[in-house]
Amino acid sequence: MTNTIQILSIEKTGKESSLQKEHNNKSIKIIDGYFFSRNLDDQKFTKISKLISNDVSQTILTKKNVNKVLSSYCNFNWVLEIKFLPGVTDNIATTVKEIIKDNLKSSFKSFELGSTKIILIKGRKEDITKISKNEANPLIQTIKIYPFKQYLNNFKKNQFKIEKVKLPKKKYSKKEINLDISDYNLSLIGKLGIEENDKSRRGTLGLDLESLKTIRNYFSTIKRKPTDVEIETLAQTWSEHCKHKIFSAKIDDIEEGIFKKYIKGATEKIIQLRKDNFCVSLFTDNAGGIEFNKDWIICHKVETHNTPSALDPFGGAITGIVGVNRDCLGFGKGAKPIANTYAYYLADPNKKYQLYRQKNKDPMLPANFIAKGIISGVRVGGNCSGIPTPQGNVYFDDRFAGKPLVFCGTVGIIPKKIKGKLSHKKKANPGDIILMAGGRVGKDGIHGATFSSEELDPNSPVSAVQIGDPITQKKMSDVIIRELRDENLYSSITDNGAGGLSSSIGEMAKESGGFIVNLEKVPLKYNGLYPWEIWVSESQERMTLAVPPANVKKVINRFNARGVEATIIGKFIKKEKAIVKYNKTEILNLDMEFLHEGYPKLNLKTSFPKIKKEKKKIIKKSSLIDKLHKLVSSPNIVSKEFIATQYDHEVQATSIIKPLQGEGRVFGNATAIKPLFDDEKSIALSQAAYPQYAETNSYDMAGCSIDTAFKNLIVSGANSKKIAILDNFCWCSSDEPDRLYQLKEAAKACYDYAVAYQTPFISGKDSMFNDFKGFDKTGKSVKISIPPTLLISSIGVVDKISHLTKMTPDDDDILLILGNTHNELQDSVYFKIIGYEKSKNPVVNSKDALRTYRNFEKANKLGIINSAIGIDLGGIGIALIKMAIASKKGLTIDLKLKNKISVDQFLFSETQSRILVSMKKNKLANFKKIFKGSDYTIIGKCTGSDVVEFKDNKKIIRGKISDFAKSYKQNIKGL
Amino acid sequence: MNVLVLSGYGINCENETLHAFEVVGFKGKIVHINDLIQNPKQLNNYQVFAIPGGFSYGDDTGSGNAMAKKILTNLYDQLIDFSLKDKLIIGICNGCQILINLGLVPSLNKKDPEVAMIENKSGSYECRWVDVKVNNNKSPWLKNISILNLPVAHQEGQLMIPINLLKSIKANNLIGLQYINNHKKLAKGQFPFNPNGSKDDIAALTNQNGNILAMMPHPERAFYHYHVPNWQNNTSKKFGDGYKIFMNAKKFFA
Repeated sequence: MTNTIQILSIEKTGKESSLQKEHNNKSIKIIDGYFFSRNLDDQKFTKISKLISNDVSQTILTKKNVNKVLSSYCNFNWVLEIKFLPGVTDNIATTVKEIIKDNLKSSFKSFELGSTKIILIKGRKEDITKISKNEANPLIQTIKIYPFKQYLNNFKKNQFKIEKVKLPKKKYSKKEINLDISDYNLSLIGKLGIEENDKSRRGTLGLDLESLKTIRNYFSTIKRKPTDVEIETLAQTWSEHCKHKIFSAKIDDIEEGIFKKYIKGATEKIIQLRKDNFCVSLFTDNAGGIEFNKDWIICHKVETHNTPSALDPFGGAITGIVGVNRDCLGFGKGAKPIANTYAYYLADPNKKYQLYRQKNKDPMLPANFIAKGIISGVRVGGNCSGIPTPQGNVYFDDRFAGKPLVFCGTVGIIPKKIKGKLSHKKKANPGDIILMAGGRVGKDGIHGATFSSEELDPNSPVSAVQIGDPITQKKMSDVIIRELRDENLYSSITDNGAGGLSSSIGEMAKESGGFIVNLEKVPLKYNGLYPWEIWVSESQERMTLAVPPANVKKVINRFNARGVEATIIGKFIKKEKAIVKYNKTEILNLDMEFLHEGYPKLNLKTSFPKIKKEKKKIIKKSSLIDKLHKLVSSPNIVSKEFIATQYDHEVQATSIIKPLQGEGRVFGNATAIKPLFDDEKSIALSQAAYPQYAETNSYDMAGCSIDTAFKNLIVSGANSKKIAILDNFCWCSSDEPDRLYQLKEAAKACYDYAVAYQTPFISGKDSMFNDFKGFDKTGKSVKISIPPTLLISSIGVVDKISHLTKMTPDDDDILLILGNTHNELQDSVYFKIIGYEKSKNPVVNSKDALRTYRNFEKANKLGIINSAIGIDLGGIGIALIKMAIASKKGLTIDLKLKNKISVDQFLFSETQSRILVSMKKNKLANFKKIFKGSDYTIIGKCTGSDVVEFKDNKKIIRGKISDFAKSYKQNIKGL
Repeated sequence: MNVLVLSGYGINCENETLHAFEVVGFKGKIVHINDLIQNPKQLNNYQVFAIPGGFSYGDDTGSGNAMAKKILTNLYDQLIDFSLKDKLIIGICNGCQILINLGLVPSLNKKDPEVAMIENKSGSYECRWVDVKVNNNKSPWLKNISILNLPVAHQEGQLMIPINLLKSIKANNLIGLQYINNHKKLAKGQFPFNPNGSKDDIAALTNQNGNILAMMPHPERAFYHYHVPNWQNNTSKKFGDGYKIFMNAKKFFA
């Protein structure tokens, strides 16, 4: 009798090879294991083993063969066993269960199983411990290390156990909370959570004293005590994550807040100026929508998943990407996700920061573990979902050591009209059934919304970590987009993200009036969840639908036929009441108005910050070629090819401008997809952020982000009238007046530049407390704040295939710089890598920039431009090197300079709004006509040789393209 | 000429695969595997059965395994029937992995499965363009093709073949496609020309009859000229190399 199946891969797999390489140890072997809650007789053991293994490449270990099989590889002496903690999503186990159920049908009913990974090594205990730290995360996994002999013993005696979630089986009785207590005790509820009967606390609610007092007043007016569910719900709904209180607060003399004045204000102003139909759905829905062509709308949304990714990088990132996919599914009546975007802001993976959440314990994960986990999480999420992930970037800075920033975005597409009705409009009607579809509810992500609004400190809850299951979501998504939407079978739809059901139903009910939910109907992963947990759980892969009663049966059947669960959990009502019942006991009854608008509004003050300029660094003397090598191989410029090749950007057969460009494969600034087979229009995507400029001047930083994101699309060939942008503010210490000053300035720049370029904001999100408070290795308390980071994502329509540009010039092309170059080296890559040169930070002149962009667009449409690349990090010098690497063609550059600018300033200044272009000589006359009165400089030509050469007076300096390519393509240390 | 394109449980390339067949002249339908299990007789209406790429069951328990087991349990006899008629079957990427797990290629001993797809030698997912040469142009799918430039995108594409079997695969001419280097010579396992370390640079296998093709590269993603990297340097042609595979299917029935 046995209740575990262990499978060994015979051939060395890729996974083993990478482990072996990483740890410089050839004696490593991996075993897949499966633990069953029921004993398997010999017949079932054989049958199931065959179902889940491949007898060409794998061997099933049994008591009889285990010694022989394992000893044939090596004399192993240590074993590492990694299992998921009870309750953590185990996708492999779900699949195995499905295979067994399908094949053995009724002969093998109700059972539990878990998957495990077993690593055998020959080596020292330190070696296996080191591997365990790289391969497993104690927050979500149990990690056990055995001497090999003991493992064999356990194996033979069958001493493996599956651990299930153990929750007390208690009957729920309604819990009322007394808020008539001292301010101190009241604030404890906010910070540590509601007190249980055994005096333990549930975990942070993120409610401040003023909010709790507001709640107390409300309940004293209606003359009863609040229930625990009511307080939990208010905490979710009022969280910074959901309500964006800082962006809507009065700040200094801005009564309406910076969101209304600067972000929404910019878009309103632009709509008023443009008088066209470009903007379709803005700010109100899960994503922002713009017109793609006469029949289709495209939408875009970018989210952050920073705190979860700090705790479980893989789980945090995969949840981030599949989560934002659902924002598209929840746009209007449901848009099909057609592209993912990513941007990671990380600490140096080659450094050891040694940070602790508590004094001498609870260490932060190492920077390289975080980086690798995040990169893999989005890979698995995107690839498994069949959504291409063409567009992204990675940026490294020590100040992300306490919290990485993980931006995940999705573009969706939806027909303008469905059965004659506008698809972006939806309304849950009174009487509609509330249907929850997709995954089941567990303890995952309890308090995600409330804690992501707070700083990462010792009390950050670990159950806030979720792991996405892209296959369950894919199955659900296929039913919605292909089988339900176009028949108009539901009236409204939204995703379950932060705050779970409490948030999704709460939001949708605004459309009808109110809702009644029966929580006992919600399907659970395991028994023993409290009603409040069911209500706020952030278990993934769920959508909430409002379905007219007549269609409910049909909708449920469609889901079930595709292996997706769908359950009636309540109904929408006209009365403006939020009502939740659990086994007929009413546990929540709030006025909708109070639920959504009752929170106390903040009143914020700002003050001018002391500029924390980086210390001056001595300039390192080196040759120009040497400097170019240093810059092109620096982590923020070096190729990110290793990410592009692991993210499937070809699926859906839409990729038209790929992440790696030219024969020499240079990582591009923008990418494009062609989403429809029958229309030659394409969607160009890009993004930009300049955290390195933020401390010097946050207004200019925001200006640069918008300019670069806009410019990259212009350079790729997009129509300047069809570009929209998204704002994602990731700030730090947003309760400090000087950080708020920087925020206000950045928001003001958003208004100024968006209006100047007439590019509307269509969606945005903010994350305001990206600070780490903890300890260093000596036990000294430290606070690490991220630099204020504003990611601007841009999405634009390219009208014709022939407008799409390339970055590779042809022989004899002349090279030009469009736009003027200033001495703007402050905070540049040069500043960081080579050293200090008296300089200023880049400032965008929107008038000049716009003239360059309009002229470029005109010239490109006329076929004058042969190749183009936007100039950003590393300035003209790096743009030239990238052009040469991409085309494998030599360039010759004349450094005759104007404006008293030095060679280094000319080549490496990060002045914005410039484009490096090439064109055939015979196009120059036409070009000059278009660019009359606009700044441009002819700087050289494409020679087609194997060197890039710079002529500085009579001196000629040369560097081989193949050497530059080698520097550009070197691995990032630590990854 | 009708093509059935399978979907469900994480298969994700059905739309573009169907489109490619339609452009060359097929009529087709995307059919969810559960609907096919419910009504397997509908297979009679089709001449081509296509299993597109994707991530069925998230590659858990090995790419293609879980879906192969579902087919084995519920549809195996019908699929064998289909394959014995004058009809065509293609499996692309995940579809290739599924056909291999079903033992439908190389199908020398009629025992399932005979070869295995294991994780790429690099240990990572590889999404990149490769050149492959046609080895066996007796298969209707590969007739009159010599070299193709196509993208691959997979985590598990390293074909593992027991040595004895490799001999009979070669003897029976069942290698469909092989990865080649930039000099049009066999990649000899060299990365990135051979992106996954596949045995003998094998990128595709066929059955003995040649009517079943299991290929790792994606022809449907190299269908139009603008799919091909750096297409701006060559805009004269309308189609990419992948088109040829679908045209061959059409020609077989024409």
